Amino acid sequence: MKKIIPALCLMLIALSANAAENVINVYTWSGVIPDFAIRQFEKETGIKVNFSTYDSNEVMYAKLKADKNTQYDVIEPSSYYIDRMRRQGMLEKFDKTKLSNFKNLNPKFIKQAYDPETNYSLPFIWGITGIFLNKDYYKPHSITRWTDLWDKKYADQLLILDDSREVFSMALLVLGYSANDTNPEHIKQAYLKLKEIYPNVKLFNSAVISILIDEDATVGMVWNGDLFKAKKENSQLEFIYPTDKFVIWVDNFAIPKGAPHLENAYKFLNFMLRADVDKAVALDNNFPTANLAAQKLLPGNVKNNPTIYPSPEILRNGEFQTDIGDDALNLYEKYWEQLKMGG
Amino acid sequence: MKQHDDGTLKYSSLGIIWLWLIVFALLPFCLVALASFASHDDAHLLSFPLTLANYAELNNSVYLRIFKQSFYIAGTCTMICLLLGYPFAYIIARIRSRYKSFLTLLIVIPFWTSSLIRTYSMITMLKPKGIISSILMWLGIIDKPLPLLFTDTSVMIGLVYNLLPFMVLPLLTNIERLDHRLVDAARDLGANRFTTFRRVILPLTMPGIISGCILVFLPAMTIFYIPDLLGGSKSILLGNLIQNQFLVAQNWPLGSAISVVFTLILAIMILIYWRTMGKKDHREFL
Amino acid sequence: MKQLPSISYLTAIYLFFYIPIIVLIAYSFNQAQYSLVWHGFSTRWYQELFSDADLWTAVWHSLFLGMCAATSAMCIGGLTAICLYRYSFFGRKLLYGLIFILILSPDIVMGISLLILFSLLQVTLGFWSLLLAHITFCIPFVVVTVYSRIISFDEYIFEAAKDLGAKDTVILTRIILPLLWPALLAGWLLSFTLSIDDVIISYFVAGPDFEILPLKIYSMVRLGVKPEINALCAVTFGLTLLLVIISQLSLRKKP
Repeated sequence: MKKIIPALCLMLIALSANAAENVINVYTWSGVIPDFAIRQFEKETGIKVNFSTYDSNEVMYAKLKADKNTQYDVIEPSSYYIDRMRRQGMLEKFDKTKLSNFKNLNPKFIKQAYDPETNYSLPFIWGITGIFLNKDYYKPHSITRWTDLWDKKYADQLLILDDSREVFSMALLVLGYSANDTNPEHIKQAYLKLKEIYPNVKLFNSAVISILIDEDATVGMVWNGDLFKAKKENSQLEFIYPTDKFVIWVDNFAIPKGAPHLENAYKFLNFMLRADVDKAVALDNNFPTANLAAQKLLPGNVKNNPTIYPSPEILRNGEFQTDIGDDALNLYEKYWEQLKMGG
Repeated sequence: MKQHDDGTLKYSSLGIIWLWLIVFALLPFCLVALASFASHDDAHLLSFPLTLANYAELNNSVYLRIFKQSFYIAGTCTMICLLLGYPFAYIIARIRSRYKSFLTLLIVIPFWTSSLIRTYSMITMLKPKGIISSILMWLGIIDKPLPLLFTDTSVMIGLVYNLLPFMVLPLLTNIERLDHRLVDAARDLGANRFTTFRRVILPLTMPGIISGCILVFLPAMTIFYIPDLLGGSKSILLGNLIQNQFLVAQNWPLGSAISVVFTLILAIMILIYWRTMGKKDHREFL
Repeated sequence: MKQLPSISYLTAIYLFFYIPIIVLIAYSFNQAQYSLVWHGFSTRWYQELFSDADLWTAVWHSLFLGMCAATSAMCIGGLTAICLYRYSFFGRKLLYGLIFILILSPDIVMGISLLILFSLLQVTLGFWSLLLAHITFCIPFVVVTVYSRIISFDEYIFEAAKDLGAKDTVILTRIILPLLWPALLAGWLLSFTLSIDDVIISYFVAGPDFEILPLKIYSMVRLGVKPEINALCAVTFGLTLLLVIISQLSLRKKP
């Protein structure tokens, strides 16, 4: 035993020396940054990337809250979480002189209400939450609206995103309210509406690609980029823009306050803003990019694909997801939890 | 001199172990208990004033249903494991063959591959285009894929699969120690098979049964990743509820309150077990 | 002739244990990236497995953590078992009870309690928080393993040694440890196994700097597995099987 202890100490010292090297901790939505982009960044800068992923804003937020000495250098929340975290002083204000590629961003997505001066967030990808169906199981175009999903013939078949905001938006839109409604009475109505759809739900999940391909679920809610990706392996999939309006969301890069490797974070963000990098990333994650310079570089069949880059006429039917404040968000959370427990 | 020497070793090791257990076991549990009385606001995970509100909130039909459902699922899982595991352990324990140790080892080997991955391979088998459905369709027994995945059945299969060894191993040790002459004596005295089992074998192997049941029942309520992966995040166990409060809903006080109530219920169950079995047995618990 | 039902029953249960593992190994040769339906034979995932540096970092982290946790738990747990056996002291029953409760306390409660502790003490989540948590949940298992062995000792050995003037430390190093090492080793192995397979407790106390294999697998399984993880499991399963066969053969050679 006496020999083991010094050996152990040595190993620990070796390990802590290892920890001090040049690193960056990146924490993003799953499936949006491919491995090759990470490798390229590591190769170009010599910075080692610790890369981890989440599948809901809430999980990311809770992880950051639980650990006061935050360890993450780059995160990628949706816009309404940018606003929440900005208000709570959880985000670092950008030094834009360090982001020389900022100019590549699509002006449509900067200076939005959730971050009026774009001081805390860099729009990265955006997308649309719509409906999918598998043509082997259902008649093509047999669904056109969210309301159709409430039909009893879909009992125990729907794939519903495991995301409180998205699901409540759907119900609010069906009821004819705004997807960003904060009126507690309306939210309660949305909850009651969702209780009616519960018997139709087969599963809640946000990482859906293999579920779509293997036909574990054949109808439900989906993000357009995920559907496009799955469609490459299962051609029977169909994406539908609901006619009773739909949500447009934006996911943004941000730096948490107190990030331990601030300089590296800037290098990483500036790297991700590069047109050639973002083009390759966009081709892999298949979501519409908020980087205009990169969008121009995309091949025609992607740039003009109606699932990813819909026409302005279709987009007019969409509603941007915005912040709704802590009170409404907490109400969503409370109802959401009850809903997932079966009502 | 000798006395002094004795003291150093004794008190230093006792010091280490007490310090460790107090800091990393007792203190955290007290903190959970304390946190369960804390208030919840957005900026802080835990804050003053202390309140009973979290416990009051538990008296909500949704939470009560989760508690009931959790106990029901864990109980069913325990029963299935017992019914499957007892004959299995009994046969292995009675085998007189040089392969016996190998057979025992075969129960343990799956433990050494990640339980998550084994659960994941359950998905491969249960999905509509998976192996089970494909084989049954090929045999012509069914003509449409079975909806196995993302149901309560798939959660149960996953739980039993993961926990059955925890039932078998204590049973095996216990049945091996069973003096078989008692069984022979009972048979000689004219007891039929069923009576022998009920009056002799069952009571003698009761400690094994109970340890097995506890080892299955406790984890069955808290392995949150099985309902997550196999149940489509729909059928929720207590484990999911607690995990959700801590890492999604950010309501630590409520999560703590659920944990406290849960721990108390378990403690009462174990206390009853202790009382009925007599304290001498707890040493052979595992 | 009542053997047949027994044998078929055994076979059925063993199949239940092993079919998922066999399926897993088979699917590690599946060509498809996202799909879990058979798309054709390929060794592509094995190539990817051996070139995925991140995964190997996680493997190494897990092994390292397991070894540190098992070794520390073995030292502390072993000493505890010895103390429980040899000395009578104030709070002995309490200590015993506490260890017993630790074994039974649900993983999730232990996980959140440590999370609250680390969060209040502002301990950064990472290697150290994981190590402390793993040692804590391993200790009771070592104590139980070692204690069950130590009570089978002949008490008079210690009395005799004491009478011959041996100090406590000498008794420990010369008598107890040599007699006890199989139990200590068993405790170490048990701790190591528990540590490298733990998901629930680690889930709460892990940080970004130190990714470990079970959590990596968890996020991969939830967020879409890369089949290379199947390949990794096939490899580990093959290695354990090999070890088991070697140890069986070497044991059989001895009389």
